[in-house]
Amino acid sequence: MTPLAALIAVTLLDRVPGVVYGLPLVLVAAIVFAATHHEDSTAIKRATLEWIGWLGGILGGVLVAVWLVSWLA
Amino acid sequence: MAKQEASGSGRVVAISPDDGSTIDLKSPALAALLSWLVPGLGQLVQGRRFKGLLFMAALVPTFLAGMWLGDGRVVYASWKPGEKRWAFICQAGIGAAALPAMIQSWRLEGPAKQPAFRSPFMAPPLSRGQPVSPAYAAALVKNDPDIDADDFRPLPPWQQFRPPPPPGMLDRTPADQVSIWHKRLGRFFEIGTLYTMLAGMLNVLVVYDAWSGPMHPTPRDEKGKQ
Repeated sequence: MTPLAALIAVTLLDRVPGVVYGLPLVLVAAIVFAATHHEDSTAIKRATLEWIGWLGGILGGVLVAVWLVSWLA
Repeated sequence: MAKQEASGSGRVVAISPDDGSTIDLKSPALAALLSWLVPGLGQLVQGRRFKGLLFMAALVPTFLAGMWLGDGRVVYASWKPGEKRWAFICQAGIGAAALPAMIQSWRLEGPAKQPAFRSPFMAPPLSRGQPVSPAYAAALVKNDPDIDADDFRPLPPWQQFRPPPPPGMLDRTPADQVSIWHKRLGRFFEIGTLYTMLAGMLNVLVVYDAWSGPMHPTPRDEKGKQ
C-alpha cells in the first residue's frame, strides 16, 4: 500500500466509522448476489469478486463524492 | 430472469447459466419455505450443497452479528402509534430467527401484558405509560441495568411504565425504552439494525433461488439475443 493510499484509508476509517462496519456487508451482499446468479462454485467465486468491485466501487464513489462535497462546502 | 421448465418426468428444473446443465429444483415451494425459515436450508434439501452452505454461512452470522452489535435490542416487532418498527418488515425475511419477535410482541400487547417466559429477548420496547404485568416489571427491574423500581407505578392489576409527569412538572428522563436503548447504544443501534435488515432482505433472494433457480439469462436466451 502506498503512503497516499494508506493516508486515505486511515482518514476514511477515522472520519467515517461506518466504513468499518459496512465492508462486511458489502462482502455478504456480493456473495449472495453472485450465488443467486450462478450455480457452479467456480463461477460463484469469480462473480463474488466482480460484485465486490461493483458494490465497493459504487458505494466508495458515493462516499468519496459526499466527502468531497462536505470538504468543499 | 430464472427459467423453470417441466421436463417429461414432471420435475421442475432450471438451466444453469454457467454450463447449460439442468438443475433439479426438488419441491420448489417447500424448498423456498425452508430457505425462508433457515437461509440455505432449501438449497441443501434440493441437493445444492455448496450454495446452501454458502448462504447459511453468509446470512446467519450477519444476522447474529447485527443482534450482537445492537445488544440484542434491534430485532422487535412493534406497531404501536409512535413506535412503528418498519425495519422489522426487512428483518422478518430471515425467517425463524426473527419469529420470536412476533411472538413477544403479540404476548406483550395481549391480555397477559408480558412477553413469553417474562424475557425481554426480542420484546418490543415499553412506551411511556404502558401497563405491564407485575412479574415482567419485576424481571426488568432485576435484570435491566437501565430500569429501576422508580420507573414503575402501581396501576392495579398492572404496573405502569414511566407514567406521564403531573402537569407543570418537567421530566428530563427518556420517555420510553427505545430512547434508553438509543442513548446507551449510540450508533450501534442503527448499525445492528442495518445488519439484521440486510440479512433479511438478502434472504429474500435466497428464497427466490430455492424456488426458481439462479437469476441469470440462460445460455439459450443469450444465444437468442444474438
